Amino acid sequence: MRKLQTLVAAAVAVTLLAGCGGEAAPGASGEASSAPAGGSGDTLVVYTNSNGEGRGDWLTQKAGEAGFKIEIVGAGGADATNKLIAEKNNPIADVAFGLNNMYFSQVKAADALEPYKPAWAGEVDTQLADGETYWPLVKQAILLGYNSDKFSKDAAPKDWTDLWTKDEFKARYERVTGLGTATAQLVFAGILSRYRDDSGDLGISDEGWKQVEQYFQNGSPAVAKTDLFARIASGEVDMGQMPSSIIADREKSFKVNVDTVIPSVGVPLAVEQIALVKGTKKKDQAQKFIDWFGSADVQGQFAKQFNSMPVNKSAQAQANPEVVDFFADLKQQDIDWEFVQENMGAWVEKIELEYMT
Amino acid sequence: MSGTPVRAMVRSPFVLVVGVILTWFIAAFLVWPNINVLIATFFPDGSFSGRAAEKLFSSQRAMKALGNSFLLAVALSITVNAVGIFIVLVTYYFRIRGSRILFLGYATTFIYGGIVLAAGYKFIYGDKGIVTSLLLQVFPSMDPAWFSGFFAVLVVMTFATTTNHMLFVANALKGVDYQTIEAAKNLGASTWTILRRIVLPMLKPTLFAVTILSFLTGLGALSAPQVLGGREFQTITPMILTFTNSPTSRDLAALLAVILGLATMVMLAVMSRLEKGGTYFSVSKVSSELQKQDITNPVANVAVHAVAYLLFAVYTLPVVLIVLYSFADGAAIQTGQLSPGSLTLDNYVRVLTQPAGLRPFVVSVVYSALAAVIAVGGLLFVARLLQKYRNWVASVFEYLLHIPWILPSALLALGLIISYDHPNPLVGGAVLTGTTVILLIAFVTVKIPFTLRMLKASFASVNSSLEEAAAIMGAKTLYVFRRILLPLVLPAAAAITALNFNSLLDDYDTAIFLAHPLVQPLGLVIKANTDGAEGTEGVANTFVYTVLLMVITGVTMYLVYGRSGRRRNRKRLPAVPPSGSIDATDVPPAAGSTASGADSRVPAAPVR
Repeated sequence: MRKLQTLVAAAVAVTLLAGCGGEAAPGASGEASSAPAGGSGDTLVVYTNSNGEGRGDWLTQKAGEAGFKIEIVGAGGADATNKLIAEKNNPIADVAFGLNNMYFSQVKAADALEPYKPAWAGEVDTQLADGETYWPLVKQAILLGYNSDKFSKDAAPKDWTDLWTKDEFKARYERVTGLGTATAQLVFAGILSRYRDDSGDLGISDEGWKQVEQYFQNGSPAVAKTDLFARIASGEVDMGQMPSSIIADREKSFKVNVDTVIPSVGVPLAVEQIALVKGTKKKDQAQKFIDWFGSADVQGQFAKQFNSMPVNKSAQAQANPEVVDFFADLKQQDIDWEFVQENMGAWVEKIELEYMT
Repeated sequence: MSGTPVRAMVRSPFVLVVGVILTWFIAAFLVWPNINVLIATFFPDGSFSGRAAEKLFSSQRAMKALGNSFLLAVALSITVNAVGIFIVLVTYYFRIRGSRILFLGYATTFIYGGIVLAAGYKFIYGDKGIVTSLLLQVFPSMDPAWFSGFFAVLVVMTFATTTNHMLFVANALKGVDYQTIEAAKNLGASTWTILRRIVLPMLKPTLFAVTILSFLTGLGALSAPQVLGGREFQTITPMILTFTNSPTSRDLAALLAVILGLATMVMLAVMSRLEKGGTYFSVSKVSSELQKQDITNPVANVAVHAVAYLLFAVYTLPVVLIVLYSFADGAAIQTGQLSPGSLTLDNYVRVLTQPAGLRPFVVSVVYSALAAVIAVGGLLFVARLLQKYRNWVASVFEYLLHIPWILPSALLALGLIISYDHPNPLVGGAVLTGTTVILLIAFVTVKIPFTLRMLKASFASVNSSLEEAAAIMGAKTLYVFRRILLPLVLPAAAAITALNFNSLLDDYDTAIFLAHPLVQPLGLVIKANTDGAEGTEGVANTFVYTVLLMVITGVTMYLVYGRSGRRRNRKRLPAVPPSGSIDATDVPPAAGSTASGADSRVPAAPVR
């Protein structure tokens, strides 16, 4: 009996070890082929939160065609930010992109970015970034969208605040259950910025905090792993927050029609940026990559492929005209990003602790 | 076993060698990184503030969520035992028709868990679920959203976490000496009396142990409350995860994690105290193998069969639906509409034909296997020594080895980064960040507490007279270890290795911070394919990955438990029951992990 048990155990151990031995070879050769110069060689390590839905693979391939060997490390916005900051003494990444200004300003504050002026700096609106370390690539509007089959333009809400002040929208909008995502944080940046009061708690007036309280009290909590569009399709809710780039695609998948609200103060824009990581050992190559990726041509192709809105003015010709038109008419909310960045951590904490029910 | 003086202990060269290596490992990878991260967290400007505690205790939501977590923990301790004992009895103790098939159904919790499991239950009992639709036809006035809140979370988690019963209680049951049951029968005891007075008391130590496990699983509940808890029943883990991610709130996360970690330790201490009072191990030297019992009362027999098969349906339906839905498109998954015509292989083609292909699977398998083997291999010596020598030095080591239970894995990872991003004398002046080794170190460390507990338990069940006999005949320490002890604990060690392996396969929390950019494990790829893009493909991908992981973990569990289990049934019981005699101190708690967000698959919970 014992012998048999031992045999089984040994068999398992051998299987596992054989797994290691056998697999080590392809693993190592894979590494070698992608990094001929030993170690990570001349492969650029690129951190991004914008690798989902095939973006990472597309970029790796295009970069390869242009002569750049890149390895994309995908992580959520907050994870990528924390990782960049944690690794600042001995950076692993060479380039980071996709994070919005809020995230990049945190990384910059931790002194983990290297100033660099890309070749295409003249083609973008430098107001959208810091003009020094991180540079804008893609614009994303953070919108309030509603089911246009249920609400006409006139009957729809005119602003976020309508959601909890008008009875017809109460419980008909989805509210977030966590503030971990960039989209949610930007929604609150947009709402709280309107109530800036330096004598108020965390720079926000009591009135402002009351809005937050109402938002959480009257909304229908989001359901994990159930997209807002799925809930709209099933009639559970009729409206909620959405970044502009996903709308067209989701409308198709869930067979719903969604229209968006443009409040009179404008909408918050998330601007995805690119930056050179401080301490990179492949500075030249990384700078060339930034020059290439932000160029009008590449940004144009990227926009075309993923329906995004390039910041690079010359790239807009290649982007989806509907998207370009939408942004042309869009009023951008005037937000003091420095103020937001300074306080966002504390706001998130306060909201999580006090208002989220 | 009474205490051994420290002086006597250090006389053995074996002890000294293991002790030196262990001291270095603990100092370098358990104490130093975590002290660094805790200092950075609680003393950001060099001075301590009571801010975190003040904020937390004045937050209604935090207190309520914490309360809910504890409530769930207590309730689960009761319900999981009830269901768990029942399914163990019908698969191993009573003669039930088709018990093999029943076993397969109940064993489904071995291979999946987390968010997909919760989603699976929602497909069935949620407001658009199959069962709800049927019920609505019978009772049109009922609330379609009946399956939500505390009740729903409790039900789902109860059925999801009986894994421990199927592993440990079943093993203990196999160790029950059949001669005592026969004797009781001869004396005229009824089925119920035998069960209550003989069988269950023998299982007590293991039941204590799995009760703590259930308690800790409840404390760390993450995905079931997120999916089914609704507004009324949210737990503390999501908040810990959010705060871990925010540098300015990390002290709150650490404090919450420490609170849960302390609850874990208190629970362990209390249980080991309770344990010491009684003697539960009456495995006789000439025990005979348990034989299945008939339920003599025909009414009871029918009732037990009915409940057993009902539970079988409850366990199996979600798995079947998850597998089915993994062939459907993302929109159908989320709206709950499934038509046979819409099932295609597209999801699998998409996932498996990514440029990265199978590489992440290979990377994860290699990392998990290495970490599992190293953790078990290394701790074999340590567990042996800690079990043999009971003195204050041993206790200190033992407690230090539990550090990974206390902190969320993201904090453990950050600690490793800030401690080893510069040449550090603790590791011979090497820089570890950016190497492939650092993730392996992290994987090994997070598996230490569970591995140690389980190994210690299996060493404890080794009959010491074997070792003494060998020693008398002149065998050296290492020889005794290699030829006597190792073969005896090897089956248990293999099982622990398999559990560790399974739970590391889809790790994200550690890997996200530590993985080498060119050697990225599966967890990162899963995250990239399922997160952010929750719209359509993302959700479908989640299901595909779950099914693929089910296959891998299923194979692993079969290799370790399925085959050896069957042999054990056929052959005579070993003199030393494999892991039947776990005492409550030797529990693999799930907590600590509580805050790691790692209940992505439930097998991970008991295994941490």
